[in-house]
Amino acid sequence: LSKLPETVDPMIRAHILSLCSALGGTSTVEDGGYSLGDDALACLKDLKKWLKLYDQKMNRFDVARCMAEANLVKGDLLEILGGWEEDEIEDRIKQRLALGCVELLVPLTWPFERYNEQSTVNHHRHIPVLRFAQAAYKKAILQHPSKRILSNIVRIALPSVAMPPNERTERDEGLIKLVLYFFRNLVMIEHPMVTETDTGEEISRSATIGALKEQNVLHFLLFISSKVGNEFNTQDTVTMEVIYHLVKSVDIEKMFLTDEQESQKQGQDLTTLLKLEDEMKRASIRGASTRHNRFGTTVWIERSDKTRSFVSGQGALLGKSTGLDKMDASKKWKKPRGADTKGISRKTEHDMSLTLERRAKAKLREFVEDFLDAGFNPLFSHLRRAIDRDAQRLVESNQQQYFYLIAWFLKAERIRRKTLANSEDPATADLESFSLVASVLNQESLITLNRRMTEWFDTKQWTPLQSAMRCFTQILLTVQDMVVSPLEDDQEIAENIQNRLFYEEVTLDLVVMILRSYTRQPFGWLDDCTEMVHVHLKMLERFSKQHEHMFIRSRKRARAQRKKNVTGEDGAEGVPEEEEDEELAEQSKAAMKERAFDYSRFEQKFLTQGCLDTFLAFIGNYKELNYSQMKRAITFFHRVFVKREQEILMFRIDTIELFNRILQGPDGLPNSHPARQEMDQFFKHYMRRLVKMLEKRPELYAELLFTKVNSTMHYLQFGYNKQIKVSK
Amino acid sequence: KDGKKDNLGLDEEVKIKRKRVNVKLDEARLLREDIGIPKLRKEAPKRLKFKGKGHEYRDAARLLSYYQLWADDLYKKAKFRDTLQIIEKLGHSRRMKMERESWIMESKNKTSGDTQDKD
Repeated sequence: LSKLPETVDPMIRAHILSLCSALGGTSTVEDGGYSLGDDALACLKDLKKWLKLYDQKMNRFDVARCMAEANLVKGDLLEILGGWEEDEIEDRIKQRLALGCVELLVPLTWPFERYNEQSTVNHHRHIPVLRFAQAAYKKAILQHPSKRILSNIVRIALPSVAMPPNERTERDEGLIKLVLYFFRNLVMIEHPMVTETDTGEEISRSATIGALKEQNVLHFLLFISSKVGNEFNTQDTVTMEVIYHLVKSVDIEKMFLTDEQESQKQGQDLTTLLKLEDEMKRASIRGASTRHNRFGTTVWIERSDKTRSFVSGQGALLGKSTGLDKMDASKKWKKPRGADTKGISRKTEHDMSLTLERRAKAKLREFVEDFLDAGFNPLFSHLRRAIDRDAQRLVESNQQQYFYLIAWFLKAERIRRKTLANSEDPATADLESFSLVASVLNQESLITLNRRMTEWFDTKQWTPLQSAMRCFTQILLTVQDMVVSPLEDDQEIAENIQNRLFYEEVTLDLVVMILRSYTRQPFGWLDDCTEMVHVHLKMLERFSKQHEHMFIRSRKRARAQRKKNVTGEDGAEGVPEEEEDEELAEQSKAAMKERAFDYSRFEQKFLTQGCLDTFLAFIGNYKELNYSQMKRAITFFHRVFVKREQEILMFRIDTIELFNRILQGPDGLPNSHPARQEMDQFFKHYMRRLVKMLEKRPELYAELLFTKVNSTMHYLQFGYNKQIKVSK
Repeated sequence: KDGKKDNLGLDEEVKIKRKRVNVKLDEARLLREDIGIPKLRKEAPKRLKFKGKGHEYRDAARLLSYYQLWADDLYKKAKFRDTLQIIEKLGHSRRMKMERESWIMESKNKTSGDTQDKD
């Protein structure tokens, strides 16, 4: 009848529907309860075959779509699963049925990949619908009135889990994995489109955590992760994935606040926000017209050569700079920017942040603390070994998740310690050593991290690199905390780690190169990158000051190496420590100088326009930056401008314009911003130096427009040539 | 009269319509004596007087507005910040680098010549 093309072949739909109805249905006798069909188990198996042999094999989603239409999950599967009573654990048939259900649920809730070369018309036709269907599945699972869907699913795996590992068959191992995959899928499902009427609240992270906690799934996860490597070998990646999707982008600091603190903080936040808004309003009123909008004022700006520019509107009367701003604003042409074909600037999961509901927060916090106490070391050391030997079960995103999680949990551990130290008096506070997180601080882990960072940097995989950078920063911060730990063991270990961290020159150089490589990555990337650089530089500086005898392993002279091989990237060519040691022992005094020189030589690498531009791009987001972020940028500028006196490097008209905009512009930093004073001080110093320099060397007027050239930089700075010939 | 010829329009000259040429900010424009960097070099030191310490914001505003008006004359079409970006990019070319060096050399010779005269 209808001319519309059928979404699915009617024959297939008929098959699926008949199977679904044969599975069972609402009973007319037993109080409307669910009663199974005669051949329910066979039906489940048939449905599974359909999914596998039709959908998966032919790369279609027809069957899944039909199942969504048939209300299979909510109407049948969940009823069967929920009907498995607690006193029927030993019931083999019920267990088989439940397993059959999970075997269907896992492919039905499987996450969709991004559209790629293998996607067909069918994908585009079905996936949008199926996403909504999955959200509905999740909602039905979490809100099922029996409240034991999840715990029943855990129960399916329990007999296999209870078995000692050497007695488990392949089927048992697979079963545990299947259950874990189900939880991974469940946690991963998000609402595809949140609207005003459909907020997705029922399937939000908070709701998920609540349900997982109540039905003992979190305990199950803890159990598995604490026994990874011991009793579970191949389930490590899945377990990690579940945890990753459970904790990703959760705001850790907020998680560790007590309710009282949080409500207090919320009040404070609101007050500051309102104050900010107030200031913004006042600023906009100041520039606004005092008359009606057709009052019609025209102002001209006359230049020295008697030419004029015309600006309309009363605002222009306020001052020269507002007039000029208006003149600029009226220009319609925009500088064409190249298309972002590679999608570098696209935001990723790493750039989100999420705040949990109060109850879910407490539950997650408990889980996180338990995990740190029991599961962290076994899980991550096992994973690290898997990554090192490129185990087959690893998928592409696993490594990224691995580093992300390490960073996340290290931060959580640090904050936990801080809250612990704050809450109780230090005498009674239980001082634990950092051994809880030791597995990611050993030499092997550092090597793995370093290798992945280099690899991702070389292949320009910015998102994985971002997770690795975060991990690196958190490791540094943890070590920093260990240094001030009252336990001597911790201090010693921290000393060792720092020695290792700062030993390879290749690593040190990598930090510089990453900073320089910023192009158009999203703000989160920039934030992580600048934080890493900031923390790294600060720690290295302190460490090199404390240790006059600090060695680093650098590559051999570039010349000699180039002769030998071009590829020598990660080779361990370098002067062995012992040799260097002896050499230095002989000429001890001269060597000490050399070491003092070392840090400044390293710092020198940051004094380039590329590094500076990254920080300038960072501070260009000043409206979103908090105090510590602003401070980070100002510290870097201070380092360049004052400490190293590379003033000329920073004298550029667009930099002046940016600083001026931040402090004086109509939407600059509000007066109450905590970083304003420091920015103000820096800018004033900067301007004083600039004015002096301009008076001394008028050729700077032209050079202000450009990035300085090496050959003339020294002259511009000091007024005389540094033993170089200027080619002409 | 020669109505025929007029009708056919054979005597009229054929006009070729040219597409309007878009003004582009390139090296040639940047180096023009009347609006480009030479003008900036000549004018700026004379016209810009700073007050120095205690008047940093005023000095900054003065400097910026001078550059903004200069940039507006140079390239009407673009906003200040975009113009600056284009100019900065142009500065990387070989020709611009040579020009920049020669400007610096010029003033260097001038100042060193002065000091030598004094000596």
